Amino acid sequence: MVKSLERVKNFFKDLWKWRNNCIMILPGVGWYIIFAYIPIYGLTLAFKAYRANLGIFRSPWVGLENYVYVFRDPAFLESIWRTLFINFGRLLFQFPYPIILALLLNELRINRFKKAMQTVLTFPHFLSWVIVASIMINVLGSQGLVNSLIKIFGGEAVNFLGSTKLFVPLLYITENWKSGGWTMIIYLAAISGIDTEQYESAEIDGATRLQIMRHITLPGIKNTIVVLFILAVGNIMVQGFDQVFNLSNPATAKVAEILDMYIYRITFKTAADFSFSTAVSLFRSVINFVLLLSADRITKWLGSEGLFS
Amino acid sequence: MKPFKKSVCLIIVILMVLSIAACGSSSTDQKGNEQVDKVDQGQDAANNNDSKEDEGQDGDIVPQSDLSKRVTITLASIQTTEGYDYTSGDDFAKFYSEKFNYDLEVTALNWSNWHERLNIWINSGDMPDVCVYDYKHAEAASYVEQGLLYRLPDDWKNRWPNVAKVFEVTQLGPEMEKRFDGTYFLPRARFYKNLINDPDEPVPDHFSLYMRKDWAEAVDFPIKSTYKISEVLEFAKKIKESDPGNLGDKLIPIAQAPSSAVRLFVGSNSTYYNGFYKDKDGTYKWGATSQETLEGLKMYAEAYQSGLLDPEFYTLQQNDDTRQFDTQGIAACNFGEAPTAALPRVFITNFQGNVGLDPFESINVATVLGEDGYFHQQDLINYWGTIIFSPNIEEEKFERWMDVLEFNASQDGSIFASMGLKDVDWEYDSEGNIVSLHDITKQPLGGPDGKYPSMGYTLGVIILHDDFAFDNPNNDEKLRELSRVLYTERCEIATPDTFTKVDWDLFCFDSPNMRKVQFDYDTELTNLITMGGDIEQNWKDWIESKMPMIQPVLDELNSTLN
Repeated sequence: MVKSLERVKNFFKDLWKWRNNCIMILPGVGWYIIFAYIPIYGLTLAFKAYRANLGIFRSPWVGLENYVYVFRDPAFLESIWRTLFINFGRLLFQFPYPIILALLLNELRINRFKKAMQTVLTFPHFLSWVIVASIMINVLGSQGLVNSLIKIFGGEAVNFLGSTKLFVPLLYITENWKSGGWTMIIYLAAISGIDTEQYESAEIDGATRLQIMRHITLPGIKNTIVVLFILAVGNIMVQGFDQVFNLSNPATAKVAEILDMYIYRITFKTAADFSFSTAVSLFRSVINFVLLLSADRITKWLGSEGLFS
Repeated sequence: MKPFKKSVCLIIVILMVLSIAACGSSSTDQKGNEQVDKVDQGQDAANNNDSKEDEGQDGDIVPQSDLSKRVTITLASIQTTEGYDYTSGDDFAKFYSEKFNYDLEVTALNWSNWHERLNIWINSGDMPDVCVYDYKHAEAASYVEQGLLYRLPDDWKNRWPNVAKVFEVTQLGPEMEKRFDGTYFLPRARFYKNLINDPDEPVPDHFSLYMRKDWAEAVDFPIKSTYKISEVLEFAKKIKESDPGNLGDKLIPIAQAPSSAVRLFVGSNSTYYNGFYKDKDGTYKWGATSQETLEGLKMYAEAYQSGLLDPEFYTLQQNDDTRQFDTQGIAACNFGEAPTAALPRVFITNFQGNVGLDPFESINVATVLGEDGYFHQQDLINYWGTIIFSPNIEEEKFERWMDVLEFNASQDGSIFASMGLKDVDWEYDSEGNIVSLHDITKQPLGGPDGKYPSMGYTLGVIILHDDFAFDNPNNDEKLRELSRVLYTERCEIATPDTFTKVDWDLFCFDSPNMRKVQFDYDTELTNLITMGGDIEQNWKDWIESKMPMIQPVLDELNSTLN
């Protein structure tokens, strides 16, 4: 009892001591409470029959009824598997891309060229997916640039936009083109933090550039890679809605219905049922949370630092 | 002296209050009497065209709002132009805003976001004062139940009698009024004075087949007013083989976006392909499982696989396909919006204006029949889009907008809404006929490129232009006649089983299960034909995947409605 009182006393003492810092972080904490923590109560909608006139608080509880509808719909489970399939593919084909870009760019010695390349690679990030989708239709359409070239060389036009087999690879390619350069900046920043003396001594010891890259640069940015990897795994169920929404069409609808597309469809394309949508979203968040913790534990098991202590 | 002064003041105040109250009541009575007179006048005007010469631009309405006070009304609607000044952007907009003393703030919705944006606004209690809502019963019932929409005052029909008369012909309006025990939705009538069918009979849809008559003649294909779907395919194949327009790779035998393609191939053959229906055996069934649906899907697949459709037709948005036919001139046919209001736009503005050929020599418009030789369609119901009001709308704003609707529903107002400003764009001749003063072949009256961009569906249209299009002198008489023939013919080439009346019990059936089965049929059926493989197997697999959701609804329908 005395110990607890002592602790509380010390806490307030510290609080007073660091009052200026506390005041500075107060808006941030307030933002999180208002916009991140209080809305968590909205998740109760998953177990309620939402009525807009009653609001979230007064809408009646219905237990797990929404989940009965959710699991009755085969499209729901299909969309989960599809999301996992597409987004684990992203870890394979997208995650390493900005790392490779950063490593290569770091090897460039002409500063002007390096900057120009960085600008060129970063620019697509600022285009919205609507624009990118229009570009893709013009470039990959039956009368588009790519098919015109194929025809010039005597080939047959390829159905890029309506092919269910090409849809997923197209997602990876466009995402790499659009966001690879932007994510690369994070790795470039991490590389710039590596002690330059290590490079100098490696050069004196006669290390090749490939050896320097492998034994100095890569280990130097390992922690950044691990953190971004864990975050990527943690986002596996929520990635890519804008991209899939804009690049898909009725011909690719079946392979494009990831979980977010499913949620969009049941929320806006049919009679709106916000409780049903929340039930699906909550399920998605739980999977995400499990994946995040798993990735964290696995990286620790492999000897790296994780996100959580 | 002071008590005397006070007493005199008190008496004067009481007298003034009483006199104001008396004036108020007498003016209300007068207003009511005037209104009854005006209703009669309105009916007389509707029945007697001789009086047109005497009518002004005010129409036969009695404003129910205080027009001396300017109000700002927010409105969200489809078919509006983003950023356009609907208060004073052109003379037409100015006429309305000055006449009804309002400022109009318009949020333009488009086809892809119309439903979802309204849905969010309504559910969050954040909707604009007035919206045009695409009526979906399950959702609409939920809005009403939750008090998310404005309930019109019980006496609205007496106060706005012209709107009330339009309301009565929309079928949906009176039916929903009965079921919701009040008016929440004002459906916009497709037809009012020019009703296509008997009021108790189903209303045919506008969708028709536009085909290149000159190309059909070049390949010796018969020109008719009706074609079965298989005949459309035959025509397209002939065109593909012969390429009478010498378009090479650019030629598109059948120009369709997914939604209109599903209508053409599946909808024309299967009346209930996208919903439930009561079969002859008295049980409720899901139309997607019918053999007619499968037959339609097979023809759809054939069109796609044999290259009769645009190779990337699934990327086309609404109206892209129509443009391939009437603007680019690269398509042999297109199943699209046709009679009546759309015909002049397709024939004159688009085809003649862009392709440069005589549309009457180059286009044949026809009705598409199922393979059984009959016209297939569920009752269109005589409305398109309903006007709804925010539950938080101020009384004076509601009344003001109802006055606008009342004007547009009046004899003069309806002409005005379709023909523009009197004595500027049209006038009456000595015999009381409407004479156009504007040449629409040079510039359309309404729409973004028109003389009055504000003219269209935004400024309180309660009777859609389809109705007046039959009488509109701006429309070529040949097109008006063609419309009449097409509508009449499709009512005749049908049976009560293929062209069906609306089943209101089914239309209004609502349950949590029912709300989960409102699929996007256009996308799902298109996906079945583009995914390759055996179409029948694809269809069976698709049905199997949907049955866990469908069966509970069928069980409910059969136990509740039977």
